[in-house]
Amino acid sequence: MQAMVRYILRRFVQFVPVFIGVTLLLFAMRAILPGDPVLMIAGERAISPATYQKIVENNHLDEPLHVQYGYYMSGILQGDFGHSYQKGRSVTSIFADKFPYTARLAVAAIAVEIVIGLTVGIVSAIKKYSFMDMLLTLSTSVLVSMPVFWLGLLLQSFFGIWMKKVTGGAFSLPISGAGGPISAYPDWVHLILPAITLASVSLAVTARIMRSQLLEVLSQDYIRTAYAKGLSKRDVIIKHALKNAMIPVITFIGIDFGSMMSGAILTESVFSWPGVGREIYLAITARDWPIVMGGVVIIVLIVMAINLLIDISYALFDPRIRYGTNRAD
Amino acid sequence: MVDSAKDTLNSEQLPAYENLLELEDLRVHFHTQDGVVKAVDGVSFSLNAGETLGVVGESGSGKSVTALSILGLVPMPPGQIAGGDIRFKGQSLIGMKDKDLRQIRGNHIAMIFQDPLSALNPVYKVGKQVAEGLRIHRGYNKQQANARAIELLDMVGIPNPEQRVREYPHQFSGGMRQRAMIAMALACEPEILIADEPTTALDVTIQAQIIELMQRMQHDLGTAIIMITHDLGVVADVADRILVMYAGKPVEYGTADQIFYEPLHPYTWGLMRSIPKRTIDDDKPLTPIKGNPPSLINLPPGCAFSERCPYATDRCREQEPSIKLISDEHFSACFYSDDEEFILNSPIYDDAEELKAQAAAGMLYTGIERDAEDAEDAGGAAQPAGERDNTASTQAGESNG
Repeated sequence: MQAMVRYILRRFVQFVPVFIGVTLLLFAMRAILPGDPVLMIAGERAISPATYQKIVENNHLDEPLHVQYGYYMSGILQGDFGHSYQKGRSVTSIFADKFPYTARLAVAAIAVEIVIGLTVGIVSAIKKYSFMDMLLTLSTSVLVSMPVFWLGLLLQSFFGIWMKKVTGGAFSLPISGAGGPISAYPDWVHLILPAITLASVSLAVTARIMRSQLLEVLSQDYIRTAYAKGLSKRDVIIKHALKNAMIPVITFIGIDFGSMMSGAILTESVFSWPGVGREIYLAITARDWPIVMGGVVIIVLIVMAINLLIDISYALFDPRIRYGTNRAD
Repeated sequence: MVDSAKDTLNSEQLPAYENLLELEDLRVHFHTQDGVVKAVDGVSFSLNAGETLGVVGESGSGKSVTALSILGLVPMPPGQIAGGDIRFKGQSLIGMKDKDLRQIRGNHIAMIFQDPLSALNPVYKVGKQVAEGLRIHRGYNKQQANARAIELLDMVGIPNPEQRVREYPHQFSGGMRQRAMIAMALACEPEILIADEPTTALDVTIQAQIIELMQRMQHDLGTAIIMITHDLGVVADVADRILVMYAGKPVEYGTADQIFYEPLHPYTWGLMRSIPKRTIDDDKPLTPIKGNPPSLINLPPGCAFSERCPYATDRCREQEPSIKLISDEHFSACFYSDDEEFILNSPIYDDAEELKAQAAAGMLYTGIERDAEDAEDAGGAAQPAGERDNTASTQAGESNG
């Protein structure tokens, strides 16, 4: 247990250089990109030299870059990610609004991915080379190669438009937004299509990893040992095979969850989902740098935290992974 | 002494089943893209309660497949029982419902495998795995299973078993893992223990200890053992009877003494001449069997060993000899096995005495002479083997960290 705490602390220390690297990179990008930040802050309108000067001073734009970086970092440490150029709001308050939507979508998508992906993978491994297996493997191949935005558009036109027409308006799924008071649908219904779209590719990958891992584990000697003890096939798979096969699957799902939590730009854009990814996408097109920088920094923090959680969860599945000790074997 | 322990066992009154296990003309084929592989082609033997049968042959001789098919563990497809029968206490195991077969696996017939590291599940504690059979077959609850696991580990000579049950296989040394495998296999006190190359993956110094442990367990529990090995030396002083296999077929079958003192088949001679001897003698160099075993797909006509047999005649290359009774309980699949002159002129008889003496000293599988004290302990006393002390102390320290 002590070793585990030490390991976690050490990982936190490792966050520091990653964090500095990412922020430096973003700062450098802002500096080399064309365009005068003062004009962007002013909304690209003509302004008086006095106003111009005031904006420069307020934003420390007259200071050298490394000093500006110092201001920015000290702001972050106090929880201040700056203000949006165009919205006049603090970056933290913007993301505080957007993040719950992204999180809701990510949780829904990861649930779809886990339930369907694992089931498909397990079924096709157990029934390997059967018609069912070939059908499922073919489906996952199609899904993997399908661009996300295109799948989103297909689902929209099928469930949102075609269904509505065919059923005379009796049944359809919402294709835009996250619900709210003006929507005709309950909020959770709005999640269905974006969650399926966001989960699609990863679901297929999860199923394939699960299938290949389970097949590999099922050919291991200890599976034969389990059969030799008199266990039933069901018990062998559930008790002896799955736990061993899960480790790579968990890695993939965990990393995927991290990237979903940091916003799915394509899915959120196609479904006008008011999440982090869409916000950053809009900020990039509008060159609203504080939002882009603040957004990326927040994403980095989230991804690092989730990766740490994944690493810790390995230990629960594989006793050979023991953190904080140096074992020769 | 080991032999005396065995003798006592044999003179004791044995349980009622005369033939605990019978294999009759067993044929196991594998259907592959290149053709049908006849991995086991007509194997018969019987095993009595408390007896040890050695099954010896090179890789690919079909000995492991024979063992796996007894427990119904041959993957099907591609495997297929193409003929013959396996009877346990008179009951056929072939075509038995999976549910009934599961009652036999681990409960009446248990198996240990070559590589104890890969044969143990890496993500479960050793104690849980050792006692798993008791939970399925005997309905033990968690506490009972754990308590019994501790007893079993203690029984197979694993020190500090209370702590060891809570450890994982990777925290055990190779010899300890095989001890744990043996404990696992013996958990339900099966009538038969099948050991598939139990010492091959182990250090030479550990091999003798594992063999001794198996003998002690056999003595204490009365378990019959089928010992599968490519090394005639391993079964030399443990087996009551020996079956020599080649290319999926039995080539010689008899008592251990018959196989050692009066071997009849040229393949058995070859195996014996490949055993390293205690003394180096320039006149009698180690003589390997030349060539490789044949592919089991489309075996040529005639004796499967004819291509490598220095005595092969045209008859051998054209006709396949069937295994036949030569003398009292001694079978051989060679046309010339009943030709006394041929047998007596074989090169093996000079060495037989010495090999047997070596076997008695436990040297064939270790190359190291056991001293008298050690050999005495092997009989039944719980004197810890040398391996215990060093691995135990280092590992106990590690796992506390």
